[in-house]
Amino acid sequence: MYTSNYSLHLTIGLYLEVDKYVTVHTHKKEEIMNRNRLQRLYIPLIVFTLLLLSIISITSLAKTDLAHAAKEPTSAVKKLVMGTSPDYPPYESVDAKNNGEIVGLDIDIAKYITSQLGYELEITSMDFSGLIAALQTERVDFVMSGMSVTDERKKSVAFSDSYYTARNTIVSQKKNGFETVEQLSGKLVGTQLGSTQDQFAETIPGAKHKKLNKIADLIQELNSGRIDAAIVEDAVAIEMVLANSDLAMNFIPVVEEANGYAIAFPKQTALVADFNRMLDQMKENGELQNIIDKWFEEKQADTSGQTGFLNIDFRVLDGYVPYILKGVYVTLLFTLVSALLGLFWGTILSLFKISGIRPLQWFATAYTSVFRGTPLLVQLTLIYYAVPQLFNFDIPALLAAGLAFGLNSAAYLSETIRGGIMAVDKGQREASIALGIPYRKMMVRIIFPQALRHILPALVNEFVALLKESSLVSVIGVTELMRRADVVRASTFRSFEALLLVAAIYYVLVLVLTSLARMLERRLRRSD
Amino acid sequence: MINITNLTKAFGKAQVLKGISTQVDQGEVVALIGPSGSGKSTFLRCLNLLETPTSGTITIDGVELTNPKVDAAQVRLRIGMVFQHFHLFPHMTVLDNITFAPIEVKGLSVEAARAKAHELLARVGLSDKADSYPSRLSGGQKQRVAIARSLAMEPDIMLFDEPTSALDPEMVKEVLNVIRTLADSGMTMLIVTHEMKFAREAADTIYFLDDGKLVERATPEQFFSNPQSERAARFLEQVL
Repeated sequence: MYTSNYSLHLTIGLYLEVDKYVTVHTHKKEEIMNRNRLQRLYIPLIVFTLLLLSIISITSLAKTDLAHAAKEPTSAVKKLVMGTSPDYPPYESVDAKNNGEIVGLDIDIAKYITSQLGYELEITSMDFSGLIAALQTERVDFVMSGMSVTDERKKSVAFSDSYYTARNTIVSQKKNGFETVEQLSGKLVGTQLGSTQDQFAETIPGAKHKKLNKIADLIQELNSGRIDAAIVEDAVAIEMVLANSDLAMNFIPVVEEANGYAIAFPKQTALVADFNRMLDQMKENGELQNIIDKWFEEKQADTSGQTGFLNIDFRVLDGYVPYILKGVYVTLLFTLVSALLGLFWGTILSLFKISGIRPLQWFATAYTSVFRGTPLLVQLTLIYYAVPQLFNFDIPALLAAGLAFGLNSAAYLSETIRGGIMAVDKGQREASIALGIPYRKMMVRIIFPQALRHILPALVNEFVALLKESSLVSVIGVTELMRRADVVRASTFRSFEALLLVAAIYYVLVLVLTSLARMLERRLRRSD
Repeated sequence: MINITNLTKAFGKAQVLKGISTQVDQGEVVALIGPSGSGKSTFLRCLNLLETPTSGTITIDGVELTNPKVDAAQVRLRIGMVFQHFHLFPHMTVLDNITFAPIEVKGLSVEAARAKAHELLARVGLSDKADSYPSRLSGGQKQRVAIARSLAMEPDIMLFDEPTSALDPEMVKEVLNVIRTLADSGMTMLIVTHEMKFAREAADTIYFLDDGKLVERATPEQFFSNPQSERAARFLEQVL
């Protein structure tokens, strides 16, 4: 029975009671009692400490990430933040074998221009689809990401002159070997979503068109025969064919002056003119050609055998494994933060729901309804892009992700916890009240420990789900496991190997988590 | 010690207590008997405000419980309650069950609370169970622990709500013996019970409740040998 008098004290208090143990009994007994006392403290205490620690470490991690990305950490120089999606070699990719630095043709041009203009360059990595939004919300000062000028994009952002024009190229299985656009009539053609080839493919007469998110996806669809050909640009095609010996490529002659790659800026920025001036200068003094040559010539053919089951060759991951494994830390940290936030906030919401105070109940119910009723991916994207505009706070991606997942998880957990609390025999409450135990103490020490036992399996489910769903946060560029797998897939132009590796890692993580949960459950069931 | 005037309690439209007035003296042992649904338990639960009375007054040593300004928690500190289903805290050892409230509510030191708990456990004959969890105890043992837990708060009044109804027959006696010893020590007690023999032997006063009213209030001798009301007579016929 909860009456409104009590429910105001809704706190899952931080318990730090210092008990002085005096040796009254034998040492063994003493030990048991000490342990019991400790266990009474453990839940609220551990939850709070971990929550604090992880928020601190997440913020510092985000900071070090930024610091790492910044090239010249001097404070006197003005800083320009560049956004890029480093999964498009040779324009930009993560040098996974070498500290995970972002490198490429675009990067070299950006470095040259910014240093000539006297800026410090900071590179921020994000999904290609988030780049325009990042410009509009001015999270970044400019974008170089193999981005071509389109009328659509011109509506939202400003472009510099183009610095490179790529040729469209048909990639297909060797046995098909499509050479001309005419041959593609009646065929299913794949392109990368949002690329220039995307629009080009629309103009191929008689061809059906399929848009995929990543180059690695295109390769896989080609290999499995789900698409007949892929249209990509020359540099990408070269890499695709080098890494996959079953594929062949043919350049499509440039018919009209295609829209080249350009640097994108927020509208109404003075930077465009400066950058154009520098591009002209680079074209004149040959610096641009030098950079292009450097990146297009740096090719070594991968001649290792590529046959075998599903054409899988884990040797391609050689050198990338440490890079991927570092994602385990990020994934676990992220899961921990969101789980603790979810648990903490979910508990408060569940207390709101059983409080008997109408406004609190309405709030908690509406909250749950909204967060359960909208996709997590939408919430994640909204929080990441809306917070800077609303609160003028450049929220680090990892923090935004932890927040979104925590808030979302809280909605689900509040129902679970409410159910757990309701499932505790109401006699426990009556006995506590009869003994004069105050509401807060009763909830924390009597009701929650018992509720926890009831809901532990459900909690474990939720945390396992969080761990796996954490792969979603790669969309805002958090370099967790999935993001790193994508980076490696882009760098190796191979689709399966990195995916299988992260799948195995996720599976092991889940196994470890469930066995930890089983141990905890056994401890809680000790009193049975 | 306890003065009750015109106490009523309604759950929605169901009128469970229909105006009960009585008083209980210091050290008096009252056995509440009557058919099921007569309001015995509700009456008892009103005394420590587990149920909020609908109308009427309850006064304990001059403090009016039914006054909204009175702090219910303070009142409850003086009143212990033992439930039919024990309601021990399953996640705590017997010792922790007993010491929790004295330490957390009364602010007793851990060692003082433990010393007291061991003394109480000896009194209810369970010294060897201090470190057991409730799930390891029989029903009778659980109820004795529950009594010890209530006594650890050193109440002036003890309420027993059918303390033996959930027990196997062979365990009833061990619990009743503990309650009887307590009664002999001069504790003010109100006991809802179906154990007529026990009521007759241990109680100073019998309250017979029927249909939300206190129908008879008498000494055990009077009540069991010569019930005044027809309803009490019929009830005794059925249970004896």
